[in-house]
Amino acid sequence: MAILEVTDLRKVYGGFTAVEGSSFEIERGEVFGVVGPNGAGKTTTLKMLAGLIEPTAGTAVVAGHTPGDAEMQRQLGFLPEESPLYEEMTAIGYLEFFADLYDVPGDVARERIHDSLDRLDLEHRDRRIGNMSKGMQRKVAIARALVNDPDVLIFDEPASGLDPLTTNYIIEFTRELSDEGKTIVFSAHNLFHVESICDRIVIMNDGRIVARGTLEEIRAAHGGTEYHVYATVDGSDGLPDGRGPIEVSRENGQVRHLVADMSAVEAVRDAVEADGGRVTDIQTQTPSLEEIFLDVASEPTAEGEP
Amino acid sequence: MSDGRGRALAERLGRLRHRLRESIARTGRIARWEVRRSAGTVDRKTVIALAVMLLAVGTAGFSAADDGLGLEREIYVVGVDEESRYYDVAADSDQFRPVPLADVIAEHDGDDIVVHGDATVDIVVTRDGRIGRVGENGAAAYDEFRTAIETYNANLMADEEDHAAAYPVSVTLEYRDRDDPRSAASGADGGDETGEKTGAVDGSSGTGDGESAADDAGGDEPFQVPAIGGGGSGSSTGTPGSIAPPFPFTSLVLAFLFVVPMNFVVQAYGSTIMDERVKRRGELLLVSPASRSEIVAGKTLPYLLGLVGVVVAIALAIEGGPVAVAAALPIALLFLAAAFVGAMFARSFKELTFVTVTISVALTSYTFVPAIFTDVTSIALISPLTLIVMDLQNEPVRLGEYLFSTGPFYLSAAVCFLLGLGVYREEDMFAQKPIPAKVLDAIANRVRGSWSIPLLSILFLPFVFASQLLSVALLFAVPQSVAVPLVVLAAALVEEIAKSIHVYAGVTRSRFDATLRTAAVVGALSGSGFFVGEKLTHVVQFVGLPELAVGTAAFGPAVSSEPLILGAVFLAPLALHVGTAVCSAVGASRGRAGYALGLLTAVLVHVVYNLGVFVLVA
Repeated sequence: MAILEVTDLRKVYGGFTAVEGSSFEIERGEVFGVVGPNGAGKTTTLKMLAGLIEPTAGTAVVAGHTPGDAEMQRQLGFLPEESPLYEEMTAIGYLEFFADLYDVPGDVARERIHDSLDRLDLEHRDRRIGNMSKGMQRKVAIARALVNDPDVLIFDEPASGLDPLTTNYIIEFTRELSDEGKTIVFSAHNLFHVESICDRIVIMNDGRIVARGTLEEIRAAHGGTEYHVYATVDGSDGLPDGRGPIEVSRENGQVRHLVADMSAVEAVRDAVEADGGRVTDIQTQTPSLEEIFLDVASEPTAEGEP
Repeated sequence: MSDGRGRALAERLGRLRHRLRESIARTGRIARWEVRRSAGTVDRKTVIALAVMLLAVGTAGFSAADDGLGLEREIYVVGVDEESRYYDVAADSDQFRPVPLADVIAEHDGDDIVVHGDATVDIVVTRDGRIGRVGENGAAAYDEFRTAIETYNANLMADEEDHAAAYPVSVTLEYRDRDDPRSAASGADGGDETGEKTGAVDGSSGTGDGESAADDAGGDEPFQVPAIGGGGSGSSTGTPGSIAPPFPFTSLVLAFLFVVPMNFVVQAYGSTIMDERVKRRGELLLVSPASRSEIVAGKTLPYLLGLVGVVVAIALAIEGGPVAVAAALPIALLFLAAAFVGAMFARSFKELTFVTVTISVALTSYTFVPAIFTDVTSIALISPLTLIVMDLQNEPVRLGEYLFSTGPFYLSAAVCFLLGLGVYREEDMFAQKPIPAKVLDAIANRVRGSWSIPLLSILFLPFVFASQLLSVALLFAVPQSVAVPLVVLAAALVEEIAKSIHVYAGVTRSRFDATLRTAAVVGALSGSGFFVGEKLTHVVQFVGLPELAVGTAAFGPAVSSEPLILGAVFLAPLALHVGTAVCSAVGASRGRAGYALGLLTAVLVHVVYNLGVFVLVA
């Protein structure tokens, strides 16, 4: 059952279209990745979901409520790209303030806050936020997003600008939240993180969604798996058009045949054996999300969604 | 059926009450945390140091205000015998310390007075009533002693039970309008006809020569001490000496006390709002269940309550009544509202400083300058500070006067908050746009459907009203031949901007199509709305401002009782406002240059109309 439904979302600033015709659904408990180059419309989309930006057109429904509705805000935790905290407050004071704002009873709030901070391994909780390191501040920001125990979390670049250790900590924490059944909309430039924790992904470019689905589906739609057939002789000669390799090269005395599918692998093997040679190795290569992203992001988007 | 409706209505009311209660609770929470957060910006030691400093300054200030600083207490020594009629003068004066004449005079031979070598004395009063100066301070002491004598004599007169005997000259002050032909006649006649009045206002001629007056009145009277030296101001003559310019200095200065803390509070308040924007800290509040209006109300409440506390404390300290507090509140509210909208428009703290200083200077001037004329003209009532001055002078304040003075302040504050709230959202708060663009954004955000156009025209009326009142206040002392055209021009310009700025904002921000037909429709709506709202400004009738020529120039003449004229006076402005608003709207639909041209044309038409009405009717 979809907990978040987006239909034809559009945002125009003056004459500039930031988001155009975005539609997707997110299932309860899913980790949904939103990736794309800078200026692709990711943050604008996330802010429209959070009720921060009013769409020019289209609708978004979060947990049965429209963004901006007070009830929807209670069920949502939003972590923006930056950590705009009140630096003059202590971490505890800051979190208690937001718990108060979300109508969380005092004793529940205290327990929840300390639980979150324990899990995030944040010490010096009575220290002023302005005196904390960037990593500590980010942890306070994450704890703030959880203070109302939301069903839906929107994380925009949660590990932006953090050291690898803290980054891994936050990614692991996000995974834990997912395991607990939270629905998470996750945006990051580090595609390895997206690939490692997201169930489904949309790739945005120039305000449009240019690819969507599970990683496997996206791979299948944008390049898919490639096969490298290593043989003692070149078996590409004599193969009919469309059955031959995409590329043939020599590596360490071997001939490498790059082919697109298993039937082509069989064809190359037959051709090689027919020439008196033999196949020494067959390697499968799946493109990373980064490779797909670079491929997709470089394509023109004027024709709309693929 | 009716039971069902009743139940539904009751349920709706119940939900509304619940929402309202929740909203108030959230606002209160934000306000409480705003106080705690702000407290975190100042460390405890600084707070204690500030409190001690404030206490010390306050104590010293009130002590000084009450008793003076005491720096001049008994700074002069006068040698005078107790039998001398000058002894009481020295004894009553704080500045003099009387010592027995025998203690300081060694030798007295004719005009020569020789004092003891070790005696410390500045002046001596001989037994035959002559006064001599001694030493370096002698001359200054002599002058001060002369003033002390005048004060002593004035006090004696004031204590006299037989008022007529003490003040044989009675002066009646009567202010006349500058345009009053009788005033002109009195000037031309050299004051013969109105000698009593002009003499009184002039002061010097009315009070006469101080020396001769003192000589005449002094000496022979058993209760009066003869003046010495060159006369002085002549205040010894009694009532004419009490004539002063018609400015309620004391009350005015005390009333000004209300405005002083507001200037400081808006700095802090403006910074708080700006802080939310510059560091994007307000973003997280915007995704909370609190609405924008609750957030702004919560952030404003501590400052407003702080100002209320200060206002009440000042009122108690200077013995002002509830009227003084009620008059100071709209000023405080407008200070905060202007600071809020300024902080929403500024792009940096540097720009905010400029904005808040402008607000401080503009509002302080607007409130203070008219109040100077509290006792002179009804124009003074454009400032609520005038009500405070009246209250401090124990003059009654009528409800109409209160509404006239404070109405524009309350309404302007409401509109400022409304405009600021319009841009209190992610898209505008954190965007770096020039102030004019933000102003247009703020206005355009309130343009929602055709009904909002006339509503905005009405909402801008407080600014129009305040601007026109200010132009009247600034120009009423200028010769009428100059003042009237200027006021007419200013009034037309302000009104035309108020009728068209939201139309222009709507066009530039694509709130409606930039077609001639749409422009004509929204222009007509804007003009009609303005016409309706303008009728509300007839509150000026309550205080008689249109009786002034410049008042008529700004607000139009009082409505005649003749049906035809009444109809024309009623419909002509409607035609004017609709016509000029359509003109500006059509210009706005053609872009910035088109708007400037349309506005200029509208202003010219409006000026011609106003002058025509002024010449024909007024």
